[in-house]
Amino acid sequence: MNMNKICDSEERRLHWLVNFKLPNYWKKIGWGVLIISFVFLILTKFFDGDYLVIKSILKKLTLVGLLIVVISKDKIEDELVENLRGKAFSFSFIIGVIYVLVQPIINYAAFLIFKPESAKFEDLGDFQILWFLLIVYLVTFWSLKRRNS
Amino acid sequence: MKNTLKVERAILNFTQEELAEKIGVSRQTINSIETNRYVPSTLLALKLSKVFNKPVNEFFKLEEND
Repeated sequence: MNMNKICDSEERRLHWLVNFKLPNYWKKIGWGVLIISFVFLILTKFFDGDYLVIKSILKKLTLVGLLIVVISKDKIEDELVENLRGKAFSFSFIIGVIYVLVQPIINYAAFLIFKPESAKFEDLGDFQILWFLLIVYLVTFWSLKRRNS
Repeated sequence: MKNTLKVERAILNFTQEELAEKIGVSRQTINSIETNRYVPSTLLALKLSKVFNKPVNEFFKLEEND
């Protein structure tokens, strides 16, 4: 009996974790964080100076903004939307893995052709990978929703 | 799977929006079901059955390739 209770509570906790989403109003907050941090990130390119730490913080804030947008509920979060989310997540995951595997090779090949003296094989950074994954997810999710509207 | 949701909705004189509101989904979900782009869950099918006052298999039918 006790074991059943423990299993039930574990099940409920897992269900809550797997299905966790922020309320809809967080979407606006996410967009705000994303746009502001992205604009400042672009601005750092136009000013001279050592902005390594600021850039790193801004990149992280951009990712946080994107993540908030991704995990915020739609106005009507029904089973169709959940289904489309699942499809968008699995598609972006597969495309993300392909991107991580292929993009460094393309970069290297491009350097070999156009700038062979500075050609070196480099893996992608964490920001680039996560940014790509989240953007692909959002674009896929929107296009699936538009197809279903 | 094919369905006659549009017909059942017309019998009750409901718009997609009204039916969506009754079963707690968006209008897009009703539209996707009617155009066979989305197969609803058992829960949603049973809610529709309650609204139409008919068994589920009267408005959802299996096709030969299902």
